[in-house]
Formats: sequence, structure tokens, C-alpha cells
Amino acid sequence: MTGPLTLDMIAGKMKEFGNSELVRKNRIRITTTPDKVHDTIRAVQAMLGCDRLITISAVDNSRTLELIYHLTGPHRMIISIAIELERDQPAIPTSSDILPPAAIYERQIHDLFGIVFTGNPNLNRIMLNEDWPADEYPLRKDWKPGPDTFYGGIKVERT
Amino acid sequence: MTDPVSGLIYILIFPGFLFLFLYALFLAFLDRKIAARMQQRVGPPFFQPFADFIKMLGKEVIDPAGVDRVIFDAAPLVALAAVMTAYLYIPIVGNSPLAFQGDLVVVLYLMSLPTIVLFLLGWLSRNIFSAIGGIRSVTQLFIYEVPFFLALLTPALMAGTWSISEIVIWQQKNMWFVFLQPIGFIIALIGLQAKLERTPFDIPEAETEIVAGPWTELTGRRLAIMDLTVDVSFVVGSALVAAVFLGGPLMPWAVTPGWLAVVVGFFLFLAKTLAVLLILSSIKVATGRIRIDQLNDIGWKYIAGASIVQVGIVLVMNYLWVYA
Amino acid sequence: MPEVVVSIGPHHPALKEPVNFKVVVDGEKIVRLELDLSYNHRGVEKAAEQRDFIRVLPLMERVCGICSHSHSTAFAKGIEELMQLEIPPRAQYIRTIIAELERMHSHLLWLGVAAHVIGFNTLFMWTWRDREAVQDTVEEMSGNRVHYGMNEVGGVRRDLTPAQVTAALERLPNLEERIKKYVDMVSSEETMLIRFRGVGKLSKEEALKYGTVGPTARASGVDYDTRKDDPYLAYADVPWNVVTDTNGDVYGRTRVRIGELWESLKIVRYCLENLPEGSIRVTAPRNAPTGEILSRYEAPRGELAHFIRTNGTDKVERVDIRTPTLANWTSVAICLVNQNLADLPVIVAAIDPCLSCTSRITLLDKQAKKTGVMSLDELIWRNRSRDQEQVRP
Repeated sequence: MTGPLTLDMIAGKMKEFGNSELVRKNRIRITTTPDKVHDTIRAVQAMLGCDRLITISAVDNSRTLELIYHLTGPHRMIISIAIELERDQPAIPTSSDILPPAAIYERQIHDLFGIVFTGNPNLNRIMLNEDWPADEYPLRKDWKPGPDTFYGGIKVERT
Repeated sequence: MTDPVSGLIYILIFPGFLFLFLYALFLAFLDRKIAARMQQRVGPPFFQPFADFIKMLGKEVIDPAGVDRVIFDAAPLVALAAVMTAYLYIPIVGNSPLAFQGDLVVVLYLMSLPTIVLFLLGWLSRNIFSAIGGIRSVTQLFIYEVPFFLALLTPALMAGTWSISEIVIWQQKNMWFVFLQPIGFIIALIGLQAKLERTPFDIPEAETEIVAGPWTELTGRRLAIMDLTVDVSFVVGSALVAAVFLGGPLMPWAVTPGWLAVVVGFFLFLAKTLAVLLILSSIKVATGRIRIDQLNDIGWKYIAGASIVQVGIVLVMNYLWVYA
Repeated sequence: MPEVVVSIGPHHPALKEPVNFKVVVDGEKIVRLELDLSYNHRGVEKAAEQRDFIRVLPLMERVCGICSHSHSTAFAKGIEELMQLEIPPRAQYIRTIIAELERMHSHLLWLGVAAHVIGFNTLFMWTWRDREAVQDTVEEMSGNRVHYGMNEVGGVRRDLTPAQVTAALERLPNLEERIKKYVDMVSSEETMLIRFRGVGKLSKEEALKYGTVGPTARASGVDYDTRKDDPYLAYADVPWNVVTDTNGDVYGRTRVRIGELWESLKIVRYCLENLPEGSIRVTAPRNAPTGEILSRYEAPRGELAHFIRTNGTDKVERVDIRTPTLANWTSVAICLVNQNLADLPVIVAAIDPCLSCTSRITLLDKQAKKTGVMSLDELIWRNRSRDQEQVRP
């Protein structure tokens, strides 16, 4: 599908997944729920012809954790699929089986936010160093560096 | 050999070891300066290789754990001695006073010794990088040595002698071998570039951008001596090619006063070795490094093949014209 | 042969920043690749949440040295769009000029580095010398060779004097000639061709499937270029073309980058000659309204995406930066599989990583249970020797 997409066309197709709104002249945002994300992405790929994932953004808005998947295609429109997750034990099935680039972004988000992507083949540390203490997710709003915690690296003797 | 005193002066001072030392460093400087100017850089001042040599002699020698110190000290000296000895058989200002039948073979053999020494040093360094570098060095030796030898032996076939000095005399009477055997000349230059491990054949040394292959564990005076060995090999190699293909220090007509012959011969020697240097430096600057498997392909398919063709042509020419 | 995990650790002389990726090899063939990017993590995204819009722009610039203008422009234009500010056209043009000059210097740098990786030092010296012309221009305009500091929310901070414009225009014809020469060189120099052709091939489907961006994707025929897809700054006014190639290997990527050098030069010339008059900034409000925006920018290495969420204060709530190199690492992992380990530096250099890795390879010998450290080049040697044993008759 390479013609320009209109909001109505998309809203009609995506109605079962959630609300669509035009946030910018070439970006459409679909709000949906975590359990429907996988199907939404599949639908966007199949019906709207999106063949490229731009990025997966994660935001901590002090109440919930939000995840936004941005996809685009030859029609040059950006489709953003937005979901919200609970703060404690956030988990969501991975999208890397249908979108291979998602694997690396999910790994990054897991490292920094603590969202678990079930089914991702490799959720090792990618951004933080290996000896960073577990369960500390620095990009969350309620994270403060503990004064006595050792965050990895080389210990310097203070004289 | 006339008398011991002039013999000693010949060997030790001019055109012997002292001249060799200074000329080797001078050619090293020229090589770096030409490369730099072709790359639009300024390049080093003329005393740079000499300064590097002196500096490195004074640096600390580091012995890796478990390495045999005696061999590590002796091996670079052996390499240097080999190439310096090879130098004595090459006509510089006239016939070499040490010439004998078969000195061409001796020179070629002595020139291969530095590569064997590098392999030995690489193997004994107890360091996997150097071991691999040494293996690479010897692999490259296998690939280019056959064509190189053949290219340098075909002039001997045509001149009917195994002595470099007599090959030079033959060229004075007839024609320079570069015109009679152009393929051989090109192969000899390629082989020389590979022997000196310069781009595009610097696979053993520069391929690892951090570790320098068999040169890794050489420090201080050992590194200075090995560097000097490479510089001296450059002189010996270009002098050899100049003697065998470009007519050496002799002009196509005889120059009568003995001392004038020496002076003219010396300047011819300088001019011809500088010509070879110019060609080799240009090749070094104009190409990138190739991989060892690609060298394997090119070496055995094209270069060895061309050298065998050259031998065939020489045999035919011998039969038809030279010895008809 | 048992699989060996080769950890190409944080130190590699050929690249510029530290990265650790573990290459799993079987003999000399690469089986798969795993990534660890922790070494340059400075917590920029977290730090940006505590700085207001004036103080956060220099922070954004310093995310990367070579594409510094990309980050600060992407951020500034995102905030400006959230605030619904109209930037004066002169500011747009100045931003475009600096952006394209940055692209030129980055591609010239890359060309030199790619030549150096294969040992062709002459091309390395020449391209870096020509890069000095671009650096001189930028230094005249902004005072610095990298980290230009030209942007602020609302426009640019420095104007271009007519003398600077003339001086810049005078340097362009010489650069044009040199670029023509590089085009010739790359297509006919034998040693470059045999090292670049067929190495690291990525087909168009693979490039799309694995989310590749930038010249790496365009070399495989994928014609996504953010400057055309989502025009920003002055790109809609300037006549220019997207450069693609169909080769898909390192040679194709070289051609795309040289083609882009050509296009950038045309854009710079057009913008310098048609620089509109007027002011260079508008005053921006202190706070940004609540909202979110995805600001995309075509950095020299590919598409850069800044996702910005604001909450009505003078600081962002979140800026999520997705750099082009992160998107391209997956493609490196893919196109390295079944390649010779010896070509690894060439392939990694071909995506122009904005993360440098010095090579230190840790060999995990599972049977003997010992670890040895080897540099990438030694490993390459060792693998080439193994490869050579199979090649020799």
C-alpha cells in the first residue's frame, strides 16, 4: 500500500485495537492495551503496509510505564502504537518474532526500565555495565542512586 | 683481492660496511620522504632514520617471561650479518673483489635469512600473535621466493655464468637485461617488495594494527638491529636488481683512467639503486594491503606462471640467438 | 569443531569508541554475534531530565562528537514543534548548511578510516587532508571543529557574515574536484575493489527486515531518507537527490557515501548562495506545553529518532534517543554470519559505527577452561591461517 493513508482509513481498520488520533500531519497514534499489542503490530504490518520499525520508546510518567512502538513504511506515515504498563513487575510479550529489530530495543528498555519482554531470546545487559546491581532501573523516575551501593567499575581508595 | 689493506678498506669502509650503513639509512629516509610527499605530507628530516637508530639502541630491552635471551639477542645480529655479507658480493664500483662462480646463489640465500630469523623470533616469543606473524612471514616467503629466484636466475642462464660480476660484464658487452627480459625485471621488483614486506605485501607485520607480528617482542637494541637489517636488505636488494638487470656500475663503453672508472661506477650505482627505490616507493604508496589468501592466488597463478614463461623464453632465445 | 565465543572487547584500534560484542565462531566462520554497549553509557537521557532547555542543548550535542549537530538540531526542532514556534528561514538555512558540512566531514572521515582498515594509507591521508577544508569552514562559522554550538531553541546562536559565506564558497570547487577523483579511485583501484567487493552483503529484504538505516540501507536499494520522507529545515526548498545503490556490500556503501558527499556539496552551495535575509532567532517561551513528539533527523550514519515527552515545565520529562548505529548493529550481526572472520573489521567499519570498539578478543577455551586474550588482528591472523590451510592444495 503506497498511497497516502488517511486518519479515517486507519481508524476504521484499527478500531478493534484502540483509538486512533492524528497527532501530527504524518503521524497517527493508536492507543491500545498490552495484550493486543502483538496483534496490532501484525495488523499494521499486513493491512497498512508498514515494513520498518523506527524505535520503541519507553516513558515513565510517574504513574505507569508507557511503551510506544513507532512503525513506518513506503507510505511515509508514522504509526505509533502506545500502551501503558503497571509499575511493579511490568511484563509484555516480545515483538521480536514479527519485528526483528525490536529485539535490541527491548533489550535496552529492559536494562534501563526493568520491563520484562517475555520470549525475547536475549535480555542481557546492553547499556549498563555487567556489575551493575540487579533490580536498579535508573531511568525510572523513582530511582535515586543509593549512597552505599556499588554500581560497578573500579573502586578507588579515598585517602 | 690485491692486498690485505685495500681489501680491508673495501670491506669495512668504502664501499663496504660504513658506506652501507650510511646509505641504508639514507635510502630509508628517501623512501619515507617520497611516500610522505606523495601523500601530501611533509615527511621526516634527512637524519631521521639515523636518529631513530641511535635512540632505539639506548632503549630498555624487555625480555618476555620464559624467552631464551641468548637467541633473542643473537638472532637479529645473525640477520644483519647475513645481509651485510651478501652486500660484499655485489658490484658497487666495479667488480666485487670477492666474486666467484656461484655468488649469485649465495647472495640470494643470504637475503632469505632475515625472513627465517623473523620466523624464529616469532616462534620463540611465546606469544600467539608473534607465532602467527612468523608463520605468515614464512608463508609469504614460500609464495614469492620461487618466482623471485627464477627471475634472477634467467639472466644467469643467458649470460652463461653464475657470478654477478660477470653478468654485469656481459651486459656491458651486449645489452641490459631489462630490455632482454622485461617480464623477469617486473617479477624481480614484485619479489623484492614482498621480501621487504612492504605494502601491498605487508601482511605479516601490519595486518594486526596493534601487535606487530613477529616484531612484537623485539625491543631496544634488538629492534634497532632488525630495523637496520631491513634497511640494509633494501640496499642489497636494489643493488642486486640494478646489477643483474640494469647493468650495474658499468657503462656500455669502457672508461679508461682507473680512478675515473671507479667514480663513474659509483654514480651509476647510486642512480640505478635510486631508480629502483623510486619504483618500489611508488608501489608502496599506491596500493592497499591484500589478504594472504588473495596473495596465495595471485602468487601461484600469475607471478609464478609468468616466471616460468620467462624461463621458457630465455631458453628459446639462448638456443636461437645467443649460443647459435 | 566446537564453537568458540570470541569477545571483541572494548578496545580496538581501528574504531573510535568502546563496544563489546561477542562473536561466536565455528572454525573461521562466524555463527552469531552478541552485543554489549555499556562502555560509553553516560546517562545522558537521565541527565537531560534535570536540565532546562538552554542547558540541555550542549548536553545533547555531546552525545556524539561527529554527529553533534544532528542531536542538538533533532532535539531543538522537536521542542520548537511542541511549542509551535516558526523558525525564521535564515536560521533554517544556517542549520542546513552546518548539517550538510557535518555530513561531508563525517563521510570524508569514514572514507579515510575504511582505507586505513585495508592498509591503503594514501587514501587515508588524502581524504583527511581534504576534510580540513570542511573543518576550516566550520571553524570560521562556529568557532569549533566539532560541537559547533550553533543551535538554540528558537533558532541559531550565530549569524554568518558575508565574508564567511564567500570564503566557504571559494573552498567548494577544490573539494568538488577531489570528490570526483575519489569516485574514480574507488571504482578502479584494484586493491580496494578486491577487499570491498562481495564483503558483508546485505540484500534489500534483509535490510528492511532488520531495520537498517542510513547509507547501509541505501546501499541495498532501500530508499528511506528522512530528509525526503519527512522534510525538515530547508531540505524541501533545495533541489537534491537521494543516493542509493544496488550492490549491498561494502563497495556499495562506499559508493553511497561518496554520492552523498556530492549531494551535500550541492546543498551547501545552494544554501550559501540563496541565504535569505532576516533574523536568526525567535524568543522561545520558557516552558513547553505538555505533549510528545517523535523528531527524526538524517544524521550522517542514518536516521536519528528523538522521542520527547514534555509536561508543561521547562524541562523534558523524557528524551529517548535512538541512534542510527544501534539500529545498524543487528545488520552487522546478520551480514557477518558465514563470512570470514578476517573481514570483520571491514564490515564493522562499513556501517560507520559511532561507537568505537578497540579489539581485544577473549578466547574461552571450554575444554581447557582457560582464558587468553588476543587482539582482533591476531585473531584474524589465526583465522586466516586456518582458512589458508583449507585453501592450499
